[in-house]
Amino acid sequence: MVTSEYDTIIETKAISKTYSENGVPVHALTHVDLTIRRGEFTAIVGPSGSGKTTLLNVISGLDTPTSGEVWLSGELLSAMSGRRLSDFRRDHIGFIFQAYNLIPVLSVEENIDYIMLLQGVPKTERHRRVADILKQVGLAGYENRRPPKLSGGQQQRVAVARAMVSKPSLILADEPTANLDSKTGAGLLDMMRELNRQTGMTFIFSTHDELVIRKARRLVTLQDGTIVHDEARS
Amino acid sequence: MWIYFKLAWRNLFRNKRRSFIAGTAIGLGLAALIFTDALIIGMNENMIQSATASFLGEGQIHRKGFRQTQSVEATINGLDDVVADLKKEPIVRHFTLRVMNLGMISSAANFSAVELVGIQPETEAAVSQVDEAIIRGSFFSGPNDHDIVIGSKLADLLEVGLGDRVVVTVSEARTGDLSQEMFRVSGITRFNIREMDAGMAFIRLIKAQQIFGIPDNVHEIAIQFTGSQYGGDESLPFWEKYSQNGNEALGWTKICSELKAALDLSDFSTLLIGAVLFGVVALGIVNTLFMSLYERMFEFGVLRAVGTRPFGVAKLILCEAGALAVLSILLGNSIGFIVTAAVGKMGIDYSGIEWAGVTFRRLIYPVMEMRQFVIYPSWTFLLTIIVGIYPAVYAAKLSPATAIRKSL
Repeated sequence: MVTSEYDTIIETKAISKTYSENGVPVHALTHVDLTIRRGEFTAIVGPSGSGKTTLLNVISGLDTPTSGEVWLSGELLSAMSGRRLSDFRRDHIGFIFQAYNLIPVLSVEENIDYIMLLQGVPKTERHRRVADILKQVGLAGYENRRPPKLSGGQQQRVAVARAMVSKPSLILADEPTANLDSKTGAGLLDMMRELNRQTGMTFIFSTHDELVIRKARRLVTLQDGTIVHDEARS
Repeated sequence: MWIYFKLAWRNLFRNKRRSFIAGTAIGLGLAALIFTDALIIGMNENMIQSATASFLGEGQIHRKGFRQTQSVEATINGLDDVVADLKKEPIVRHFTLRVMNLGMISSAANFSAVELVGIQPETEAAVSQVDEAIIRGSFFSGPNDHDIVIGSKLADLLEVGLGDRVVVTVSEARTGDLSQEMFRVSGITRFNIREMDAGMAFIRLIKAQQIFGIPDNVHEIAIQFTGSQYGGDESLPFWEKYSQNGNEALGWTKICSELKAALDLSDFSTLLIGAVLFGVVALGIVNTLFMSLYERMFEFGVLRAVGTRPFGVAKLILCEAGALAVLSILLGNSIGFIVTAAVGKMGIDYSGIEWAGVTFRRLIYPVMEMRQFVIYPSWTFLLTIIVGIYPAVYAAKLSPATAIRKSL
């Protein structure tokens, strides 16, 4: 596939990832070539152990491939230092995890604020952006609540807000609806789809959820660490 | 940086029970160190007090060489000038003159070697505790210059009691002729120091000067200073000033060097106890931080994932170590203060027990000093931060994916 520098946000070139589990090598990914364009709303699907989470980790630089290259927004991740990679993730990638992963000792506002604090965004600007994003995810008025006082759906909305507040170009969501009931999950997906349409952010999900699969504009199917199907939808 | 302090402080109270147990363990170590230090200071002061106040005095002046030879002829040079100068010294509270000679004391039943000491009862009572050590009779209360005060063990050996007669034989200065004099026992002392109870006898200074053949001369001036710190200060100009004209002036650290060595050993013991306590505390801190780290592995993975730099994670762990240290110091200082104050009120009874040649004669009271509540907590804080470096580096080196995977 040939894509222009401006269209392509992710390009993996023959990436493989092998773990050692109790001394036994496990091939989580095998020669995966994947190109994602800006603004895509992509779901990576496949059975458990097919390599979905590993692929997201490698794409985001949370993990390093055993071989192959990952290019993100035109930059080769393996060429970056740990510190540079941290800054790059902070500025370009938003994460949404299955288990919400909010910092329980920080309030909703502080959780969302954290990344902007790392970025050095001025306080007034941070405050404004937190208020805006909380309104967008329907949690205005919840600023001072601590995560344990929120429902699962509300926590995942905060996680979405945290992922988006720094205006990253890419959102990676690992099973974001797995712990939510179908109604809450659908609402969350609609919200993310709407944000995708409004802002042009790229969304990549790893999921089993039929709901996510139905909403995705592109479906990449992994099996035993290899892409076996890649389908774009209108 | 503020966010790390905030996170650390709140994380400390996330698992209140564990933080409290860890903080108490560290705090108890600190409290033990504060108490031990206070006790050792109290014990040292007690020993110094016992050693110097019993008889030695906090400082002494002799003719140079007298302490080694005990020669009767070795009297203080220029005594009148020395006495006149001492009277003008602002740091000298009291001093007393003494003469001493080795001799023999005999009764109808027995005889023994003895150190016969000539004293001025009035000034002696101000410098030493010979008068307080009287268990029977009196301390030269009458005008009789043939009164003698002897130690209890010596009295037992001689089989004498109050009013009984004893004969003292000493050699005179210069001629070496033997001089004999009869005395009547007017007082019996007990210092609980074997050498004093079995081997010393006190008579009036003038009488002693007469039978020793050294009229108007003395062998020793025992001094009590206005502050206990002077006697132990070897750099005090006082010593040099009075170590002139063939005399030597010495503080108790030189006169009683074995006591000084014992006190140095106490200081070393404090250091050793401190090192052991801090070692135990250090392991506790590392354990607590690692438990906390493993429990929240996912969180650290998330923090790294959202862009926290490795050093940022390390800073967070160090802040948590610091927060734990602050909690521990608050607990440790409080426990240390309460325990030391309580024991300081009651005292510890070691009286009669001898150590390093000194018999404890009074209750030992731990001595609290501001330093104990500033220096030791500062060490605790510093130590906590230092040992926190290990888990901090471990956390900083964690791959975010590994951290997230480990906790799943």
